[in-house]
Amino acid sequence: MRAVSLGGLGARALRAALLGPLLLSVTGCSWSRFDDVTDSSPIVLLEKPGAMKQGYGVSVAAVRRNDDVEVLVGGGVGVSRAAAYQLGTGESPSTTTVDSGYCASAPCFLSSSLAGFANAPGPDRDYPSCFAVGAGTSATKGLIFRCADHSEFAVAIPKPAQDALDFALDNAQSDDFPLAADRTDHPSLLASSPSARVAWFYPSSSNKFSQLVAPKGAAIDDDSFGKTLTVLPMGDSAGAGRVYAVGVPNQNEVLLWKSEGGRDSAYIGCLGGTAGFGRALASGKVNSDANADLVVSDNVNVHVIDGRALFELPETTTTECGFAALPSGALLDSFGCGTDKNLSGCADSEFGAALAVGDLDGDGDGEVIVGAPGMTVRDNSAAGALLVYDAESPNDVQFVDAKFISSAEQGDQLGRALATPSIDGRDIILAGAPGNGKAALFYCSALLPAGAGGPRCP
Amino acid sequence: MSSGFFSRRGALLVLLLTLLLAALAERATAQPEASAGKRLEAIRAEMEKGQGLYVSGNYAGAAAVFEAGYATYPYSAFLFNAGVCYQKLNDVEHALAKFKEYARVDPNAPDIAKVNQRIATLEAAKAAAAVVAPPETSDAGVADAGPPTPPPPPPPIVLPTSDDQNAMKSLVVIETEPDGAPLRIYSRTDASAQPFQIGATNPGWKEVLATHAPANLTLDVGHYHVVVEKFRDFNASEADMDVSPGHVHQLKANLSQGQFMAFLRVSANVVGAHVWVDDQKKQHPEWGETPHGELIPGGVHVVLVEVPGFEPLLANVNLQHGEQKELEVRLARVGYGVLRIDSASSAPMIKVRIDDQPKGIWRSGEDPLDARSDAGPHKLTVTSDDRKTFEGMIDVPRGQVLPLHVTMIPTFPRGPAWTQAVIGAAVLGGAIYAGIESNRLHDQLVADRQGGSLESSDGRATRGKIFAIGADAGFTIAGVFAALATYNFVRDPLPESSIRPDKPIEFEDPLKARPLSLRAPRRAERVARDAEPPFLELTPQASSAGAGLFLGGHF
Repeated sequence: MRAVSLGGLGARALRAALLGPLLLSVTGCSWSRFDDVTDSSPIVLLEKPGAMKQGYGVSVAAVRRNDDVEVLVGGGVGVSRAAAYQLGTGESPSTTTVDSGYCASAPCFLSSSLAGFANAPGPDRDYPSCFAVGAGTSATKGLIFRCADHSEFAVAIPKPAQDALDFALDNAQSDDFPLAADRTDHPSLLASSPSARVAWFYPSSSNKFSQLVAPKGAAIDDDSFGKTLTVLPMGDSAGAGRVYAVGVPNQNEVLLWKSEGGRDSAYIGCLGGTAGFGRALASGKVNSDANADLVVSDNVNVHVIDGRALFELPETTTTECGFAALPSGALLDSFGCGTDKNLSGCADSEFGAALAVGDLDGDGDGEVIVGAPGMTVRDNSAAGALLVYDAESPNDVQFVDAKFISSAEQGDQLGRALATPSIDGRDIILAGAPGNGKAALFYCSALLPAGAGGPRCP
Repeated sequence: MSSGFFSRRGALLVLLLTLLLAALAERATAQPEASAGKRLEAIRAEMEKGQGLYVSGNYAGAAAVFEAGYATYPYSAFLFNAGVCYQKLNDVEHALAKFKEYARVDPNAPDIAKVNQRIATLEAAKAAAAVVAPPETSDAGVADAGPPTPPPPPPPIVLPTSDDQNAMKSLVVIETEPDGAPLRIYSRTDASAQPFQIGATNPGWKEVLATHAPANLTLDVGHYHVVVEKFRDFNASEADMDVSPGHVHQLKANLSQGQFMAFLRVSANVVGAHVWVDDQKKQHPEWGETPHGELIPGGVHVVLVEVPGFEPLLANVNLQHGEQKELEVRLARVGYGVLRIDSASSAPMIKVRIDDQPKGIWRSGEDPLDARSDAGPHKLTVTSDDRKTFEGMIDVPRGQVLPLHVTMIPTFPRGPAWTQAVIGAAVLGGAIYAGIESNRLHDQLVADRQGGSLESSDGRATRGKIFAIGADAGFTIAGVFAALATYNFVRDPLPESSIRPDKPIEFEDPLKARPLSLRAPRRAERVARDAEPPFLELTPQASSAGAGLFLGGHF
């Protein structure tokens, strides 16, 4: 008699087989890898000071003195203040502000554009690492400077601007006094008062203004006169000549003056274009010569104009605006958002709302950085982006890179303001995203050779 | 009129009494005939047993068997045979006693002269032994005669005997139908003598006995001729008979047929097998059950031996008149067996499959399920709802019923295991999702970093960390649940279902079945009973507490 039970063996094997896949699934999913990725990230967000109640990132500026680089982020025009950050050397910036008292002591109207000075001519001496931040009262009325050592002073402004300032102060109204300066060690400051329809400049190492006089018939009687400004130095020396460009975007015009380095200036013409021409201006060395070039945007395109050609324009009284007076080849190139087929989201991107020129790869030639604060990024409308173009030579403009904040949010409006601080022999990008009160430093560029960008640009 | 009336009543009473007496007489006659056959079989067994012991040299044992046989069945052959055994043992006293008793109870035995001579010889030998024995001496008054010498043992009695294994006498039973016929028995004294012929001189033959049937004779080994002389209006008949030592021989003459019957004894390796003679279709009651011997007419007969569990066997046997023949058959078991399955547990129903073929369903309260199958090893599968399945190999015996009592163990509940598995799977799914999401965010961050677009406080890094931690925690929790579920799936503290086989039993013999009233109803009977049409009845009831109608029925 033999009776051997076979039951249960198959069922047990089946049950045991359930364990395998589950155990195999229990593999580690490391969270520290996110720290590895975000450590030394290529973008550094600057922390908004708690004192800046209204706006942050509306305007930005940078200044370099020796190896000391400082940037300034401004708030709401005429109503807020600005905060300074020390970038130091290398790629280890201080993300917290070192001084948030710019244009903080009343009365001061923060300008829509700020100007950095490696050395600012104060009432008694030169002050290092200063920013011209607006108009107001600091001992005297005028344009307000604040420096890295927290010293403040004011420089005089023309009578119409003074009247406008007084009016604003007396009536508790804000007013805008746009500013611009070149990037030389002893910059020349260009300022304007759109409400007073007046623009003026301070020669290098001087705190005495010279008013820019337009010929009769020029379209300066417009409240957009002087809304945009830029200074084109012809070389890096303190006594170099300069071209002062004053935009009248409502008239689609940019008025040009030049100075041989002294207090005198001469009106050399007016550039005119399509709608919105002159709504943003920037200067920098785009081509290979030693002179700064002019970058102008309209509502669609960005135009790069040889600065030397502009400087060589003769004094004129004509009020005709256009490119006709420019010599051949002066217009280095023009490009729009959709020039490169690899770029999408250009519609309603506000391409050209802000402009900057920076040598991102450190090769001596500058790249044109165009702000598009209305661009949709990762389905976030108006998150904004920065578009980098290499425009070294005619017919060789190419879209190089698109940058945006990785944690883009709807309405960031990145690219509303631009600056290109210089570190370690190259420029990086400082961009304001005032929609959500952000400002960020972009350390890397696609143009950078491998290993040339430090730990943030592997 | 009254005398006529009583006359008719008396006649009727006589008729009834006659019928009653006839019935009683028939019953009384039938029973002795049946018991006489068994008695003869018992005598035969005793005689052959003693003969066997005698032949093997165990004279004491043989003497005891013959003595016991005589005590139970007082036939003189037992006495003679016992005396021979004692003589073989040189036990003169007992031998003399048995032979003298033989002569006393059977003074007309054919060999009475030889027995008396044997008695005389024994007594002479006994007397001679007494003469040569030294007189008994007493040591009283012979103090100086030295140490007494022990008396010499009496000389052994040397009995003159030529007894061999043929010395045993046999019992010969001669019967006639009807009784009372005169018999003459002749012994062949010359082996070369011609066959006996009635009315002839028959040299070499000697009449040893004349008697009437029925006769129980004690005869020596030898060849005999039995003559039944003319009796009433029956003709004479005759038969030869060889008497072998220590046996019981039976001769029966049916005078109406004018011939002697033959004796057939059928034995088989199975006791109780049914035997039919000349009745292959079994249209008549069986002839007997093995071992069975009976007188039957001479000639060729067809013997059918059959018993459940064995292949039926047919044998032809040719019997001479007066011949005694032993037919020994060997029955072979059939090539199949039956598994008789029931459940020793509380399982209400079990399903039985043999070699994956369904064999039936057993329900609690029913007779065991009989599943027939070819003999040999088979795969037995027993299933029941919510019970562990039994699977095992079982050897089906040939031609026998193997009772199997199945113990069906309830399946161990797996509810907790399934719950843990489901929770573990859900957590695992969440962990996988979290892991995938973490990887996706990480990939995005890496891509953004490589594209120069990643900022240090990117919220995706925080979300990615949370997802990664969630994934790790989920994998761990899922692993724990998986381990618990697996353990609870594998864990089974209950034993497996099992079977307990009993000793195989023989097939039920319908011819030996119990009375119907004592048997449990079989399935077919129950089915028939259950198939009774439904009924509904209304029964009035009343008591001191009240009255009412009771409605009952079954469907």
